[in-house]
Amino acid sequence: MNENRFASTFLIPGGLWLLALFVVPVLLVLGLSFGHTDDLGEAIYGFEFTNYERVFDPDLIPVLLRSVGFALATVVICLLIGYPVAYYIAIYGGRWKNVLLALVVLPFFVNYLIRTYAWIAMLGDDGLVNGLFDTSIRFINTPYAVIGGLVYGFLAFMILPVFASLDNMDRSLIEAGKDLYGGPWQTFRHVTLPHSYQGILAGAVLVFLPAVGDFVSASLLGGPEDVMIGNLIQQQFQASDNWPFGAALTIVMMAFLLIWMSLYLRSAAREAREQEA
Amino acid sequence: MKENDERLMRALERRIGRRDLLQNGAAMALIAGLAGCGVGNSSSGSKEETEKPIAKKVDGDLLYFNYSEYVDPKLVKGFEKKYGVKVRESYFDSMSAMTAKLRAGIAYDLIFPSGEYVQRLISGNLLRRIDRDKIKNVDTVYDYFADPWYDKDSEHSTPYGMYATGLGYRADKVTGMTGSWLDLGDADSDDKSFMLDDYQEGIGMANLVNGYPLNEVDEAKLEKSLDYLVNLKPKLRGISTDTITNMTSGNAYIQHLWNGDIVNIRYGVDNPEDFKFQKCKEGIPVGSDNFCIPVNSKHPGTALLFIEWMLQPEHAAQNVEWIGYPMPYNGAPTEAFQGLVKDDPEINVTVEDLENGQQYENLKGEGRLAWDKVWTEFRVS
Repeated sequence: MNENRFASTFLIPGGLWLLALFVVPVLLVLGLSFGHTDDLGEAIYGFEFTNYERVFDPDLIPVLLRSVGFALATVVICLLIGYPVAYYIAIYGGRWKNVLLALVVLPFFVNYLIRTYAWIAMLGDDGLVNGLFDTSIRFINTPYAVIGGLVYGFLAFMILPVFASLDNMDRSLIEAGKDLYGGPWQTFRHVTLPHSYQGILAGAVLVFLPAVGDFVSASLLGGPEDVMIGNLIQQQFQASDNWPFGAALTIVMMAFLLIWMSLYLRSAAREAREQEA
Repeated sequence: MKENDERLMRALERRIGRRDLLQNGAAMALIAGLAGCGVGNSSSGSKEETEKPIAKKVDGDLLYFNYSEYVDPKLVKGFEKKYGVKVRESYFDSMSAMTAKLRAGIAYDLIFPSGEYVQRLISGNLLRRIDRDKIKNVDTVYDYFADPWYDKDSEHSTPYGMYATGLGYRADKVTGMTGSWLDLGDADSDDKSFMLDDYQEGIGMANLVNGYPLNEVDEAKLEKSLDYLVNLKPKLRGISTDTITNMTSGNAYIQHLWNGDIVNIRYGVDNPEDFKFQKCKEGIPVGSDNFCIPVNSKHPGTALLFIEWMLQPEHAAQNVEWIGYPMPYNGAPTEAFQGLVKDDPEINVTVEDLENGQQYENLKGEGRLAWDKVWTEFRVS
């Protein structure tokens, strides 16, 4: 009992932090989403549903689908690139493990925005890559560039949790798999991969969430068609000054992600449990 | 050589253009603003507060709030030295974020809003009256700004940088420029045309193309302007405010932009003479940013001194060359910009341009919403 009370005091700082910097702002956004703007564009709290009527305009569906599509593609590519990297570092990293991990994290010392700008310089029509290979490929302003930018931006969020799950795996399990006449592929499929499910799950969520709401990549690297939901929200807050509509977009987006994520997490966690059992 | 290096550094520093919306810090402003907005008058000042005369003397360090890279840092240093104060610089990335912070009660001494925002801030009693007679050289400001639509008798604002919107293009790459806005989609740019990602400039351009006033809000007419934009879209490579990056990287051969951006682009390339500017015959959007002193400023005297410092003709001339945007002051500053663009005078903004041009106004309720809807429909189309 006493111990419990002692432990729960540890929750106070984090709880206050979340309350002040997450719960309160979300409530403000929620309140604002029912509001409107005055004649000069200042937002005013109210109680009306016009903003939500606009959000559920079928015209916005393609934008939502595109955002989810880009984010899913980002998750898949991050997994394909990130898993082998995490695997290598965890299994073969040896005494270089920490150095290799530091190298993975190093690009994150540079702001995401700056890194995205660097892509323009690198992949531009007269950029480094085209110059090096004497080509004139138009990389920038395509959906591929947007997804590429997202992968580049969030790759480490996949590598780190997968690494963590592989790193604490008991190596003798792999040996045991081989002892049981499993080939390298079978051992990987039946031993290593299931063991890293939790890491993949965490990585997928950590990559998907920022990617689906991102606006930087689409804005800097996309073409006229590559509008994501984040771009629409950003436009309402920073350009056309319709904060209430932007707030409604945000709330619907959050609700959508919350439902989607909880379903995904639940089914994925169940699967992981079954795999491990 | 040294000068070249300096130019290159400068160009690199501001590849992120004047009106770029993407910097950090905006989120904090939004949160602060969310808390502040709509709670009635608590975030606005009172009329008497705004009327209090300002004594022109050093009354503390200057807390300055501007777009980044929008005043020559050497002038800021010079001001600090002369008056023995510190200028603490803080940057905003959009007018919206700026007002959000102001409304959240953060006390800045000097801000740089556009005409529309001057009008909005005045209506909220958020700007101190600036006694023009106290500022030396204020008489060099173009008469055009003596009584602007956004600020009666220019009582609360002094114009700073001014701009005209048009098309920047590569004379060495593009054929078929005709002096029209239609060139953005129709001239041969090898599919490298970029439109500004700015709802005002986008819809404004469409209105002008259709022969409507810049600020048209009639629904049927806006529908026509939307049609124009939707048809233009497939002819574009991108919709972006990163005008400087787009053109210096060779990704854009035609770019919808503000005239000063062309000057900054020219600073960053080997063949500046190939980068031209076209004001379009259907109409020219023009405007200016302004010096203003917020009502809750703690050091309005220093702010007034700073405005005076910047109005000093040789300082303004130096600043014009650094920011690449013209300033509407007669004499040396005007000549400095003319000198900067003497091989392509089209980049200049003359008094006639201002008089013939049109400025974006604060649209009222329905009209504002209509513009927002047109732009959203265009973006998702």
